[in-house]
Amino acid sequence: MNSIQTNDPAPEKNLYQPCLTEIIKVIHETPDTKTFHIQFVDPSLRQTFSFLSGQFAEYSVFGEGEATFCISSSPTRPDHLEFSVKRVGRVTQALHQLNQGDLIGFRGPYGNHFPLDRLKGKNLLFIGGGIGLAPLRSLIHNVLDNRADYGEIAILYGARSPQDLCFKYDLETWSRNPLVKMITTVDAGDGDWKGKVGLVPMVLEEIGPSADGAVAIICGPPIMIRYTLKSLEKLGFSPPQIWTTLEMKMKCGLGKCGRCNIGPLYVCKDGPVFSFEEIRNFSSDEF
Amino acid sequence: METYRKISKENLKKWLTGLKTQAEVLAPAKENGLWMFRDFDGQDIPRSFQNSRLPPKGLFLESLKALFEWKSPGGSLQVHPHAALDGQRVIFGLRACDARALKILEPVFARDYPDVFYLRNFSRTLLLGLACPVQCEGSFCGEMGIDAQDSTDFDIFFREIPEGYIARVVTEKGHAGIEGRGFFEEAAADEWNLTRVKIRGGREKPLFNLERVTAGVVERFPDENLWKRVSAKCINCGICTYLCPTCHCFDLSDLQTRGQGVRFRCWDSCAFADFTKMAVHNPREEKWRRYRQRVSHKFNFFYQNFQAIACVGCGRCVAHCPVNLDLRQVLLEAAP
Repeated sequence: MNSIQTNDPAPEKNLYQPCLTEIIKVIHETPDTKTFHIQFVDPSLRQTFSFLSGQFAEYSVFGEGEATFCISSSPTRPDHLEFSVKRVGRVTQALHQLNQGDLIGFRGPYGNHFPLDRLKGKNLLFIGGGIGLAPLRSLIHNVLDNRADYGEIAILYGARSPQDLCFKYDLETWSRNPLVKMITTVDAGDGDWKGKVGLVPMVLEEIGPSADGAVAIICGPPIMIRYTLKSLEKLGFSPPQIWTTLEMKMKCGLGKCGRCNIGPLYVCKDGPVFSFEEIRNFSSDEF
Repeated sequence: METYRKISKENLKKWLTGLKTQAEVLAPAKENGLWMFRDFDGQDIPRSFQNSRLPPKGLFLESLKALFEWKSPGGSLQVHPHAALDGQRVIFGLRACDARALKILEPVFARDYPDVFYLRNFSRTLLLGLACPVQCEGSFCGEMGIDAQDSTDFDIFFREIPEGYIARVVTEKGHAGIEGRGFFEEAAADEWNLTRVKIRGGREKPLFNLERVTAGVVERFPDENLWKRVSAKCINCGICTYLCPTCHCFDLSDLQTRGQGVRFRCWDSCAFADFTKMAVHNPREEKWRRYRQRVSHKFNFFYQNFQAIACVGCGRCVAHCPVNLDLRQVLLEAAP
């Protein structure tokens, strides 16, 4: 028998093997949320790695497993990568135990990204709830670093209580930026809270941004999104003017493991960023 | 170019035995009462073999596969990839349904992010098919467009004839496999055409029309009552996905021992309630949604993505469902 192996189309790369990154900083955002700043151990990867706002990655704690988080830093600030983790399960619990200097695995970037080309020249309205600010934050820093390309920028951010506000350092910087309209609200204030009190959709209707030439980018818990959509509709926003990033259970991030499907779509490859025009035409409501 | 050959039963055994010097050779064998593909040791090719209980997908997409490992000697973490296997392999006795399933799965693992493990398992294997003389229990291969007596999804497809086997040599790889051996003699295309036999236990009339049931599955996706009714007796055991030659959903998980660990890929099932469970939300928490997902993925979504239906009608899920949930009946209900 001659060799039965035909011209082998198979690549050498092991898709599932992560790159090593080192935690260079841990920020305690809230009692259950931390932000990790990481850097590739391999110096050449620090130079060659690139991603776009909205993309995600798979992060490994070796021995505990892998979990999916968006990259919450901006590609315009390539010094290191950031991601934020709410402690809810096995891998997130393990991540919360880690410190500066510890190594974690990183696979990515995966998925599509926010449509920067379609946002240029538009008034941008960012609406985030809780940890949902993480993916928006990548885009916010991205547009602020190219400020002249965009119209007015407004950010509406809400959390359950003042202590549940994530990225307080960003909120403060943005509120001092004269070219940003920053509104922070909490469901319930405390003695020291001087900002707004009220649910995101209510505050949105109160500030009443114009839908003309505007795009809204929203991310937060499903219930916030549901009511915020109604409020945006009242304000005259149409589905193609509203974008979000969806969360689904993922394992591979590569369109193979069969977990993140919404109908024929794979959120890991076809998403996670979708317009509400696309979402309302989904053939399935399972997300 | 396709050619045809003939070989006696004795020579087939000699040929397969000879291949063992260069390749791992697998053929049907019974173990613990179940048919499976095992190392060929010169035995007669069993005539009572219909098909393996487990589909051969596990020889390509292993049920448990180590992807990489890590070690931390002296606290410094090192990650080492596991290489894809590259030894040559020959599998004799595969059925037309299962070979089609392997073809159907190929683009899943080739597109966008090529998966070295599946693709290498595929490219390193000589696929030798065997025509079915008997219709398997629960099967509906004919309805799914599979010809159990003929197939070009193999490198070489064999049909048993009184004097041995007649072979349709389909691929270059197949020709390379028989080259230089005196075991095969030339045969004509006419001989091939004349050796087709009627499958014992085959149906005179198909159970359903594929286009019609496919349209039904698509159309009735929103019909909650239908899916609740057809999935009512499902016990979420997942055996249908385990036995399915095209089901390919997997999980990634870690095994950590002292100072080292391994990440595995292992089969998973959309029948399991925690398959899509997230921190605060599970889009397919209800059983009927999971059952609908399985049927729709095969007959609707997979087709939209890969222009193939991810079912070959092998009948394993029908024959071995512990509660007799019969996919054929479900399809008929979707498109009465």
